[in-house]
Amino acid sequence: MKTIFFTGKGGVGKSTLSAAAAWQLAESGKRVLAISFDPAHNLGDIFGRTLGHKVTRFSANLDLRETDLDEAAAEYIRRNTSILTEVYSYTKAFNLDRYFKVLRHSPGVEEYAALTALEDLLRTSDDYDVVVIDTPPTGLTLRILALPRISITWVDRLRRIRRDILDKRHTVHSITGTFSEEGQKLAYEEKDDRVMQKLTELFDRYVAVARHLESDANRVAVVFNPDYLSLRESQRILDGLSDLNLGVNVAFNNKYTQGLSEIADSMERELFDGRDAPPPVHRIPWEPYRREKSYEISYDLTQLFAL
Amino acid sequence: MSEHQPNFLIRLWRSLRAFLRGIDQAQRERVVALTAYEARELENMFVLMLLGSFAGMPSPPSFLAVELLPHLEHEIRVLNRRAESSTDALAEIMGTIDADA
Repeated sequence: MKTIFFTGKGGVGKSTLSAAAAWQLAESGKRVLAISFDPAHNLGDIFGRTLGHKVTRFSANLDLRETDLDEAAAEYIRRNTSILTEVYSYTKAFNLDRYFKVLRHSPGVEEYAALTALEDLLRTSDDYDVVVIDTPPTGLTLRILALPRISITWVDRLRRIRRDILDKRHTVHSITGTFSEEGQKLAYEEKDDRVMQKLTELFDRYVAVARHLESDANRVAVVFNPDYLSLRESQRILDGLSDLNLGVNVAFNNKYTQGLSEIADSMERELFDGRDAPPPVHRIPWEPYRREKSYEISYDLTQLFAL
Repeated sequence: MSEHQPNFLIRLWRSLRAFLRGIDQAQRERVVALTAYEARELENMFVLMLLGSFAGMPSPPSFLAVELLPHLEHEIRVLNRRAESSTDALAEIMGTIDADA
């Protein structure tokens, strides 16, 4: 299973291009899932379907899905607050459980929900040859892509401390034959310690996502228009991605017309000159707006991703 | 007189053994107390790192804390106790190594 992330400023046409790529790849015989993480949710509009969390079959080879990040965040909070209120059930007596609900608004929850959705997507999409991902706005996308590495660093550090704790408990256990405090038996082996188990589970999950993102199975496309606003944002995307050790495989200069060739030339120079391994740039001609089948574009995208 | 001698030796041996066992026990307890103290300190650090954002410390992403929170009842108790006795850490160490007697 390969993934293609379409990134770019809002309005440059990344949803249309990702839909077009998904459609063309599916027509060429690959099993394709097109999924949108973008809260703007244009994917359904482009294909003329109402999409949701469940997969919608569009054609024999093409499935469509939209992940609502707000809904994913709400679901994540619901699950965790229910575990919390179960464990700390006494909080109900003091009406403290409502404080857990504030977590919904704590920073980072949206990214984490998105990461969980992404991880879930990677784990369950082995049936597809290609998964085409329409990304949310740039800032959020970069934070989502950075999250696995950041989390791995933290989880690894926490695991080391936890291992030290368990070592100490083990020492006490081997001298006294037990380890308990205040009548509560405490785990002293990694396999019995639920905190350690949880940390290891999280570690493995993030490593799997990070490995996939950095692997040869992942492609990143950046979409921009021949105008300077989208140039600035594309520069930020390229900088952000290279900070994460992710390269851009394909660039699309979308909505291009003959009259804009000078601007397009200078933009592409400004974007890619001096960068390591600049991607090939494809100029996608501007096509008049169509109400139906806007995913059918004449430019052949099937060979661009080296799948 | 001579028939009491073995009895006396046995009793002496038993008391000596009990005495040595006592010393051994005391040594073990001291080691255990120190190690348990270290373990508690580490538990305190662990949960402080995890929940540090609440105290203004740079901290891992808050969702890690949320994921682990259900399993941390013991550590949070340690953290609370540690916070209460934080102004008197020296006394706790002295108590642990038996230097306050």
